[in-house]
Amino acid sequence: MSTSLTFLVVDDSKLHHQMYELVFSRGSLAGSTILHAYNGREGYTLLQAHPELTAVFLDLNMPEMNGLEFLAQRRADGMQLHVPVVMVTTEDSPDDERRGREAGAWEYLRKPFQPVDIERTVARVRQSSVHG
Amino acid sequence: MTGDNAFAELMHEYVGECLPLAEQAADGFLEVERRWNAGQQADDLAPRLKGVVHTVKGNSAMMGLSAAAEVAHATEDLFAALLADPSQREPAALDLLLDGANLLIELVRSATSGKGDAARVTAWVQGVRAQLAGQAPAAMTAPGASSRSSGPEAAVDTVRVDFRRLDALQEIVGEAIIAQSRLRDIQRRMVSHLGFTEESAELDASINAVEKTTQKLEDAVMATRLVSLSGVFGRFARLVRDAAQSSGKQVRLETSGGDTRLDKAIVDRLGEPLVHLITNAVVHGVEREEVRLGRGKTAEAVIRLAAAPVSDGVILTVSDDGGGLDADRIAERARALGLEVNSTAPDAIYPLIFVPGLSTVEAVSSLAGRGVGLDVVASSLHAMGGSITVESAPGRGTRFILRVPVTLAVVRTLLFEVSDERYAIPLAHVVETLRVEDGDIHEINHRGVVLWRGELLPVVDGAALVGAGAIAGEAARKYTVVVHAGTRRRGVLVDRLIGHRSVVAKGLDPALGHTRLVSGTTIMGDGRVTCILDAQRLVDPLPGHTATVLT
Repeated sequence: MSTSLTFLVVDDSKLHHQMYELVFSRGSLAGSTILHAYNGREGYTLLQAHPELTAVFLDLNMPEMNGLEFLAQRRADGMQLHVPVVMVTTEDSPDDERRGREAGAWEYLRKPFQPVDIERTVARVRQSSVHG
Repeated sequence: MTGDNAFAELMHEYVGECLPLAEQAADGFLEVERRWNAGQQADDLAPRLKGVVHTVKGNSAMMGLSAAAEVAHATEDLFAALLADPSQREPAALDLLLDGANLLIELVRSATSGKGDAARVTAWVQGVRAQLAGQAPAAMTAPGASSRSSGPEAAVDTVRVDFRRLDALQEIVGEAIIAQSRLRDIQRRMVSHLGFTEESAELDASINAVEKTTQKLEDAVMATRLVSLSGVFGRFARLVRDAAQSSGKQVRLETSGGDTRLDKAIVDRLGEPLVHLITNAVVHGVEREEVRLGRGKTAEAVIRLAAAPVSDGVILTVSDDGGGLDADRIAERARALGLEVNSTAPDAIYPLIFVPGLSTVEAVSSLAGRGVGLDVVASSLHAMGGSITVESAPGRGTRFILRVPVTLAVVRTLLFEVSDERYAIPLAHVVETLRVEDGDIHEINHRGVVLWRGELLPVVDGAALVGAGAIAGEAARKYTVVVHAGTRRRGVLVDRLIGHRSVVAKGLDPALGHTRLVSGTTIMGDGRVTCILDAQRLVDPLPGHTATVLT
């Protein structure tokens, strides 16, 4: 990858941030910049300040502002709608996925995921943002 | 199965994040059970508890720990079912819920070791399924052949080290400290014989550098040995619940300070004394419901377990809101054992419960139930360089206060000399040192005092304290070391201040015939064995007599 990619991770679990950190430091995504937010509100503030984001990885269950509230706010404000949002959900919650898509999520990442899943997801959202 | 998990190197972070969550779940479910049993709502606790278990589930799945993920998942389902349908909230179902949280704690904790009781997981999950299907839960026996090995087995980027190796490492640090203080000793003697030279200044600088490095090494080794108390604390919620159930009482345990960190060697040794004190509090300390109601108390008793770091270690308290200690009975029992009990003040009598033989099994009923083997508790605390005291208010409750050091080995001390003997006192207990002149020491009620920061500070002669046989007026001591412990302060009169030293505390050498004021010994740079004084006992009121006053 020659272009520098920037990702926003919004998750209340420190462990997940470290997992993304690991994935974005290796393989095809090595050298990416990551912005970290530990709840929806923090994440939204970072979203407002970073129009250059390649994608947002948004956890669903969080304190303060959850993933769905984040998406609703973004739609209401028309904030950085060009930035793809990947909703991160647990495998057994198809309902959440539907609600996420309705609220404006582009993609899903289901836990448990592996590094290759993130790489594929990133490839997909980059494609759609280029053509879309 | 998951040995090549991409995130295996984050196993430590996983445990660090999920263990407290699993413990919160266990505590939370106990509270839920308590409320439901009392006919109250617990819905306000549900969102947080659901979130906590959900996070553990997601993280466990990410780490490839399928057993933990499965248990978390079944716990979520069970909790949801119990929330939705009050008719299902029967004791067996609540037990399953609590077992789930405890199982989760164990699975998270053993994630790095790869040990997991797969059979227990399977049996528990089957129990939950049966419960959810509306059947009586299957007996919690492990099926003989569980084909699935669902134990966590992810490989980790962490090295597991036999704790004895850390002990050995600490021993070596101790030896380095002793060797370094020997160097410092030689350098000082060189200076005093030869005066300052360029070489002695260089030597001084090198020793300084070595001391800094040793300090860093000591801190680094110490850091590898620190573990939080949460593991030990986690065991008690269940202990209290079970003990309360079997003695037909309602008791709630409240804990705080579980994140306080201590040397593993100390945490390991604390488990048993705490189990003892907490069981005693449930079984003997708090009253039965009807007695409590008669005294205008809540039917449910509360036992509080708290830990907090202080300058020289950690203070743990175990308190109950029960009937308190019965001073008369304790005194009676002490006299029956042939002890002299001069005081009638309850505060002077309560500590007698730590006297060996006083709190034996047969004494249980006669002592208002308190104190099976409290002498054992006290001696195990003393053995780790700690102490235990008790406070009690009749009808209102009892509190045990345990002080323990953060580590067993290295102590920073002030070294001083009195009657040609050297002593060390832990620096954490030294407020300051003062020069005393003739006439600074006054006598009030046959006790020596000095005026210090506008207050009268009782002073004792250092030599008399440690039994070195000082004679009044033999030598006017030149310094007062102001020692504090707990809420008390006392000045100790000494001849000479030698300086600060990190020393490696060794146990007591019986051959040396120490007084009760000595907590341990250490070997100094010149090879001499030096006693480390017990600050707590140094400030305790002296029984009967006071030290010789020097004027």
